[in-house]
Amino acid sequence: MSAPGKPVLLGCRSPEKETFTCWWEPGSDGGLPTTHHLYYERERLEGTYECPDYLSAGRNSCFFNKNHTSIWVNYYLTVMASNALGNATSDPFKVDVMEIVKPDSPRNVTLRVEERKDSPCLHVRWRPPSNTDTKSGWVTIKYELRVKKDNSNNWEEYMSGTQTHFSLYSVSPGVVYTVQVRCTLDHSSWSEWSNTTYVKISNYLQNERPFLMLISILSVILFITAGFVLIMKRKSVKHWVVPPVPGPKIRGINSQFLKVAGSEDVSNALIFNQSFPPIHFVWEDQMEEYLNVTENEDWLSFNSQKRKKSLIPACFHFDSEIHCKESTCNQNEWEKDEEISKVDNNNKPFTNTGYVDFQRHVENVQGANVKHVDYSRIKEVKGNNVLILETENIQISNIPEDYHRVKEMEGDHLVVLQKQNAADINYTDCALHKPRKPHVCTESSNSGYVDTIPAPPLM
Amino acid sequence: MGKSSSHHFVLHCKKGTMKKVLFAALCLVYLELSMRVVSAPICSYGQAGCHVPSLADLFERVIQQSSRMHSVSSDLHSEFEQYFFPSKNIMGKRKCHTYDILTPQDKENAQRLGREQLTEVIVTLLRAWGEPLSELHQSMSQDQHQDFNIYSSNKALEISDIVHELKDGVKIITDKMRLMGVLSNTVGYNSPESLVPSSAFYTQGDLDSMDHHDLLYCFRRDSNKVKNYLRVLKCTTLPELGC
Repeated sequence: MSAPGKPVLLGCRSPEKETFTCWWEPGSDGGLPTTHHLYYERERLEGTYECPDYLSAGRNSCFFNKNHTSIWVNYYLTVMASNALGNATSDPFKVDVMEIVKPDSPRNVTLRVEERKDSPCLHVRWRPPSNTDTKSGWVTIKYELRVKKDNSNNWEEYMSGTQTHFSLYSVSPGVVYTVQVRCTLDHSSWSEWSNTTYVKISNYLQNERPFLMLISILSVILFITAGFVLIMKRKSVKHWVVPPVPGPKIRGINSQFLKVAGSEDVSNALIFNQSFPPIHFVWEDQMEEYLNVTENEDWLSFNSQKRKKSLIPACFHFDSEIHCKESTCNQNEWEKDEEISKVDNNNKPFTNTGYVDFQRHVENVQGANVKHVDYSRIKEVKGNNVLILETENIQISNIPEDYHRVKEMEGDHLVVLQKQNAADINYTDCALHKPRKPHVCTESSNSGYVDTIPAPPLM
Repeated sequence: MGKSSSHHFVLHCKKGTMKKVLFAALCLVYLELSMRVVSAPICSYGQAGCHVPSLADLFERVIQQSSRMHSVSSDLHSEFEQYFFPSKNIMGKRKCHTYDILTPQDKENAQRLGREQLTEVIVTLLRAWGEPLSELHQSMSQDQHQDFNIYSSNKALEISDIVHELKDGVKIITDKMRLMGVLSNTVGYNSPESLVPSSAFYTQGDLDSMDHHDLLYCFRRDSNKVKNYLRVLKCTTLPELGC
């Protein structure tokens, strides 16, 4: 049994700069019941005072409420332990509330995972400690948080300033994150770290990736197959993209035939198919002239201007200007004369021989001793357009019975034949006649037999 | 560019480009003349050509400065204590020279004080510390025997500068508040005598380390007061800013 041992003041703390609490450590009690009292003196205050509240803060503590708390003044505290045998007084303890501020931890730390397209992010929110008064500006709280991944011991710390929220962007899915927050009041001591809060970032975001992968793989396959198809059909693609320029063709000649046939056949074919003058060329020019077969003096002169590119049936209209230098229109004339006798037919070769009547332009013939030969016999028909006439004079005294002369044309379709009266025939007129429209010949009048070829349809 | 070379240049250009060049040159000259001032000065009196900051901006600025002032002085004091007096809890019994300046000791008193008196307290405190701080800096920079002084005298200088700026800043704020009608002229909180800082306290000779320590201790406390009072003043004057 002895006097109590000397108590020791451990320290004081103010959580909000408005109140404060001090704790002491009692010494040995000496085997007797010992009481402790805290006495204090204060700067700018006369007297010694005892602790106003021994209970609120627990054992061996003294709580100073707002009325008893002053800032920026020194408190000098002593604790006295006393028992029946004596007292013991602690060493004085100087305290200025300004220096002992340590706030409580922030409250209600919540974590929220926001799933964004590329990467998730973590939003942390918390509340300030309940007893701090920031509204009046008495204290300014600054926060700090720390984050830990899974079970590692490395904390990453971030300053949050005065905000009560914070966002973490470098967050990986499938990882457990632990977050803690603490605060300080105006450069005071830091509070304790808040309770730990966990969150696990879910993995399901990664399911979107396989979907995208699938789509990309499918499109790649599509491209590859399209490429293959293009390569296989490159010829037709090439044809479509760059159409070939048509090469020159000779009508009536099959290039295949040329390849196969022998040289004789080839030359025959060429000659046969050729036309003098090159009528197919002139065709394009539309410089066609018709040869009109007529006995009507009212026929108009020929016109070597543009004609309609229409077809002339088997009964021809020959409208021509024939320069006859010789007594005969021999085949040379035919062949040399380029203005004449464009027979506009439909590429059918002559299938019948007949008499062709010409009207010759007598005026153009100068000084030539022209024997008016009215008729020529067609010796040969070459190709589609060339009539090779016989050079001998053909005296026709009488027209064979199976031929008639066309008397006149009535309308577009009527051929009027003349009764046989060959002697009266006199064709000296080589006057030019205007061409008539091409006629479609049909079997017509009852005056006789007309040998015709059925006319091709008009174009 | 010499005259000849510019002529040379002009001669070599066609007419169209010459016009463009002249136009560009004129533009540059105009810009040069009109943009003489690189940054607009902040002035609170609304002089022509100045950007006048708002009251909120001014408060923000002074609060930042006071925070800086307190943290530097606090660091300096703790360094000093570590260096000279490793054992804590010294019983420095000498009074601070600003002892006689009455200041609110807690939140309720500070709020009850009102804007005018609170402002006056702030200004009084700042005024009281101008001279002692410059003396402290001088003393520390002169006393090279202690390593502490070598490394820390610039901090004393920084504190001195900040106090000087803060004085001006608070004056500007009070003027602006008076303009806005927020502040009225009332009876001072402190008696006139206490407004005169007891500079005699320090002119008794050179300051020694104890003096340094006391000064730092006192100033740490007073800078904390100034910081707190400024915040309270801001939040009562501009509550909408969210304190």
